[in-house]
Amino acid sequence: MMKLLALTAAILLTAGSSSPAAYLKLGATLDGHVIDATWHQQPIGFFISDRAGNGVTSTELRGAVERAAATWSAVSSATVRLSFQGMTSAPAEGTDGRNTIGFIDRPDLDRVLGATSFMIDDQTGAIYEADIFFNTSFAFSVAPDGQPGRVDLESVALHELGHLLGLGHSAIGETERTGSGGRRVLGSGAVMFPIALTAGAIADRVLQADDIAGISDLYPGAAAINETGGIVGRITKNGQGVNGAHIVAFSPETGILVGNFTLTPQGDFVIARLPPGPYILRVEPVDDAEPDSFFATPIDADFRVTYAPRMVVAPKGGSSNAIEIRVLPK
Amino acid sequence: MIGFRGQVGAAGSVAGLLLVMATAAFAQDSPALREHRVTINAGAIVLGGYDIGSSSAKLRGNGTGSTPSSFTLLVADSAFTRVTAPELRVGVSLTKRVAIEFGATFGHPRIGIGISGDAESAAQQLPGETLEQYLFDGGVNWQVPLNLGRHLAPFVTAGAGYLRQLHEDRTLVETGQNYYAGGGARYWLRGGHGEAWPAGLRGEFRVNMRRRGIDFEDKMRAYPTVSVLFFIGV
Repeated sequence: MMKLLALTAAILLTAGSSSPAAYLKLGATLDGHVIDATWHQQPIGFFISDRAGNGVTSTELRGAVERAAATWSAVSSATVRLSFQGMTSAPAEGTDGRNTIGFIDRPDLDRVLGATSFMIDDQTGAIYEADIFFNTSFAFSVAPDGQPGRVDLESVALHELGHLLGLGHSAIGETERTGSGGRRVLGSGAVMFPIALTAGAIADRVLQADDIAGISDLYPGAAAINETGGIVGRITKNGQGVNGAHIVAFSPETGILVGNFTLTPQGDFVIARLPPGPYILRVEPVDDAEPDSFFATPIDADFRVTYAPRMVVAPKGGSSNAIEIRVLPK
Repeated sequence: MIGFRGQVGAAGSVAGLLLVMATAAFAQDSPALREHRVTINAGAIVLGGYDIGSSSAKLRGNGTGSTPSSFTLLVADSAFTRVTAPELRVGVSLTKRVAIEFGATFGHPRIGIGISGDAESAAQQLPGETLEQYLFDGGVNWQVPLNLGRHLAPFVTAGAGYLRQLHEDRTLVETGQNYYAGGGARYWLRGGHGEAWPAGLRGEFRVNMRRRGIDFEDKMRAYPTVSVLFFIGV
C-alpha cells in the first residue's frame, strides 16, 4: 500500500520552519522500524516546470538543475542516475506520478528557499514521486561566479536533489544567532546542512565528504561496499543512552568530516561509508540549527561537546568495534 | 684566520696519530668478535617519541566567490609517545670488526592527541590510541679500531628496516620503512679474545628516520632510540 507521507525537506535562508522526520537519510516507519527511503528504479526522471522565477528563466532553471543532477550522478562510489525528461506546464507540487521541479509562489514561507515533498511506499520505503519547488519570494541567480544579493540556484538545487534522492539534513556546520532571531552560517561541512550560505555564495555547488558518504550509503556502488568502512558506537550520559546526539568523524589523515546522529533511545550510532583509516570522534548537541530540522521527536541536547578518548578505525569493508562515549550534562 | 687554520691542522695531526696508535693497539688488547660466528643479542630498547602531524578540521566559510575563507572546527596535534620494548638482534661476524645484523622489536606505542581551537570545548589532551608495532631491520655493525681496554670496544652501525603498525582495534595495518645510524659499545664480561662462548653487554644509541607508517602529514620523521642488550656468541 502506498501513501503520501508528510515528508517535506527544505533548505532555509535562516531557521524557523520545520522539516520533520529527516536525519542523515530520510525514512519510512515499517512495523516500528525505520527503513531508508530510496528510489528502487533508476534512472530517476524529472520534469522542469516552465514557469520563470525571480531573476531566472525556466531554461536557466533547467540548466542549474541539470548541473546539480550531474554533480550527484558523478559520485563514483554511488550508483545514482538522474535524467531530464522534458519541460512541463504542471506545477512542482501535488500528486501526478511525475517528479516535477519548478518555481512556486510561497510568500508564507518567508525563510524557505526551496523544499522537496515525497510519495513513499510505506511498506518498502520506495520513493515513487518527489517534487521540488523553489520559492519565488527570493531572488535567485545562475551566474557562473554567483551574484551578490541573489541566492545561487544551482546550490539550492543540489541540496534539494539530495533530499529527492533520500538524504536528510546534515548537522556539520556552525552558526550564530542573528538579531532577527534567525541564524547565520559561520561554516558548513555539507551541502545538506539545513541553512543556506549567504546570498551570492557558490561554495555549495560542490559536494562534501559528508554528502558523498550519505549518498554512497543509500546507493552504494561496488567501490563503496568494498573500499569503505564504518564506525559504530553508543553515546551515554549518566549511564543512559543519548538520543539525537551528533557525532562527527574527523580524519586527521585526509581532513574529511562525516557525521551522523544517535537514532535510538539507547544512544546507538553508525557512521557508514568512510574511507578506511583512523578517525577522531567529536560528539556535540544539535544546537547549530533547530532540532526539528533533523528530528520529528524530542532529542537530548543537554550535554557538553565531548571527544572520544581514542581514535577509532574505520576498517576497509567492515565496521569498527563499538565504542562508548560518555558525555556530561552542561 | 691563519691561527685558526693552524689549530685545525694540529688537531688533525693529533687525531691521526691517535688513530694509528689505536689501530696498532687494537690487534693486541681490544676485545673483538669471533670471525664467522653468530652473536645473539637480547634486551630492551627505548624508542623516543615524535610528532606525526597537525591537522585542522575545516568547514567552508560563509563567503562569496569560489574559494571563501574556511572556518576551523578543531585542530588535532598527534604524537607518538616514548615506549620501551624488547629487542632481539642476531649478528653474523664477517671479520673480527664487521658483522651483519638482523633485529626485531615488538612494542605498544601510544598515539596521544592534543585538541585545540574548538570554540565549544576547552583545549585538551586525549589519552589516544595504543598500537601494536613490529620493526624488522637489517644492517652493518663495524667495530671501531679504538683501544678502550681489554673489555670494551666501540662500534658504529647503520641499516634499514620494515615497520608494521596495527591500530588498537586490530582492523587496520599501516606499514613503512625505518632507516637508522648510530653507535655504541660492547663490554665483554667473558671472552673477547678468541675464547668460546663470549658474552657481555651492549649499549647503543641510534638516530632513526621513519617513512610512512602512521603519519598524518606523510613526512619523514626523526626519533632517537637507546638500547641495552645482553649478548652471547655461539
